[in-house]
Amino acid sequence: MSRPYLLILILVLVSPIFGVIGADIVGYHEPLDVAAELIGLGESEPIWTGIFPDYTVPGVPDVMGYMISGFVGVGVLLLPALLRGRRD
Amino acid sequence: MFPGAVRGCTVHIPDGFLSPPVALSLYIISLLVVTYSGRRYFKEGGDIYYLSVMAAGIFAAQMLNWPIPGGTSAHLVGGALAGILLGPFGGCLAMFMNLLVQCILMGDGGITALGANAFNMAVVDVFLGYLIYKMVMRISGGKKFLAGFLAGWLAIAAAAVVCGVEIGLSPQFGYPLSVTVPVIGTWHLLLGLVEGVATGFIVSRVRVIGK
Repeated sequence: MSRPYLLILILVLVSPIFGVIGADIVGYHEPLDVAAELIGLGESEPIWTGIFPDYTVPGVPDVMGYMISGFVGVGVLLLPALLRGRRD
Repeated sequence: MFPGAVRGCTVHIPDGFLSPPVALSLYIISLLVVTYSGRRYFKEGGDIYYLSVMAAGIFAAQMLNWPIPGGTSAHLVGGALAGILLGPFGGCLAMFMNLLVQCILMGDGGITALGANAFNMAVVDVFLGYLIYKMVMRISGGKKFLAGFLAGWLAIAAAAVVCGVEIGLSPQFGYPLSVTVPVIGTWHLLLGLVEGVATGFIVSRVRVIGK
């Protein structure tokens, strides 16, 4: 496996430590969502919540969901590289 | 209460924060810059492989959301890094690809704010970061870490200030420019130090493709 692919794989595998576990420890909320609640925008739902809302997969534990949505996002972005390879 | 809540603005603006004229004009500007970047990148022989790997790498790096005690967090943005490594046009395209996937698949960044988010992170952060890097490289006689550090740090602070301007210009947010800009700007001048160190570290260790 080439180095960039390996690096990306490692980043996604360790990401829940920061994005889910660490976030739970400090009671993380999206800063702008907190601001929205304060000024009464809190009720306004996002127009599009995404296929994996906030990096979760419905019905799947958060840590797994974070990784799965990470792999799907990375996979979509890597498609051109995987299909075409490097030119030079 | 407001400053504490908004200072950690990760520059991914959700739906409902921007007034329609602000959101729409930034959609138009960003679309023009991204289209032009696409033309230039491929005309100059750019390879889609690098866009793809860079966009995926930035996406994965942004998932490392560093929690900060007090209920906020920060992640790398990477626009300056992408601009330095791939050149400003390639960097702009890679950042836009990342933002598009984050918005459509994850709902990260509102779909009505995609133009604004692209302007901040795929235009301001990328092009300004690239310019600062080139300037510091010339003045310092090729000190890569220093150039990458200043580019990553100052460009993200500038992108955050622009984010503050966009939100401050939108009446529904309820806070004027005189509040949003200093609060978001100051906080990112601090957070941006991490972005600067990471950018300097990476550009001094990998091969730069962009000119």
